[in-house]
Amino acid sequence: MKTVLFYIISIFSLLCAIFVVTTRHLFRAALALIGVLTGIAGMYLLIDAQFLSAVQITVYIGGIVVLVVYVVMLVSDVTQKGFADTPPWRKAVGGILAAMLFVLLLIASAPLALIKELAARSATVTEIGRALISPEKGGFVLAFELISILLIAAVIGALTIAFPGDFTDKEKEEKEIEEVKK
Amino acid sequence: MNEPSLNQFLVFSAALFCVGVYGLLTRRNLIAMLMSVELILNAAALNFVAFHHYKFGGEVGGAVFPVFIIAVAAAEAAIVLAIIIALFRHKKELDVEQVNTLKH
Repeated sequence: MKTVLFYIISIFSLLCAIFVVTTRHLFRAALALIGVLTGIAGMYLLIDAQFLSAVQITVYIGGIVVLVVYVVMLVSDVTQKGFADTPPWRKAVGGILAAMLFVLLLIASAPLALIKELAARSATVTEIGRALISPEKGGFVLAFELISILLIAAVIGALTIAFPGDFTDKEKEEKEIEEVKK
Repeated sequence: MNEPSLNQFLVFSAALFCVGVYGLLTRRNLIAMLMSVELILNAAALNFVAFHHYKFGGEVGGAVFPVFIIAVAAAEAAIVLAIIIALFRHKKELDVEQVNTLKH
């Protein structure tokens, strides 16, 4: 039963993923990205990683994809104008390179099946929570704090970059303001 | 018997990774490239979870790292989208072949 579910989800996700990288319509690509992310959240559920599944849906679909959709709509006159198409030779080269990478990954992952197998189980939410804030050996409190700093830095950086106006060129800014007034 | 095996997960995430790489190589639009990167990060996170489930008996690191991957992806998306807004304001252009002022 789970195997059947796995195949259904994987085919659906891969089709969505191919649609994401081939369609010229950015909004549809973002919607297909939601399909891929939902499929992967379903895969997490198949191997008992409920916490990750919830995080995937809340943070990825509820946060990142919504942000992407928002920006797609904000710059929509660019996306509707359409882009110069990628030349076919480059698509062919990209496809060949990606296919070669796929074969390489398959070859590389074959010996991994030989690793000694423990009974299949997943970490519970309690274990994940304890590990995230545990300062002892095997805990991840340092990484956790570093991620917090990274997120704050990213938010401040994003604000600085996206803030209207050029901080370094006051004269130009005043000129622009005068032009707008006229 | 009814459970999917580790190999199936590996093949799926390898395929997803390669689709992402293909998108990254061929797309010229910054937003589309960001979406390809999200595919790649997801494939990597799925591998972490699959290994921790099948080979390491629920070793907690394999479930914690995808959380970090998702957090880094969120930070990355925020930065890239800010760059897109700034770029759009200055150049009215999101084509990576046209935006090359840093190149020369």
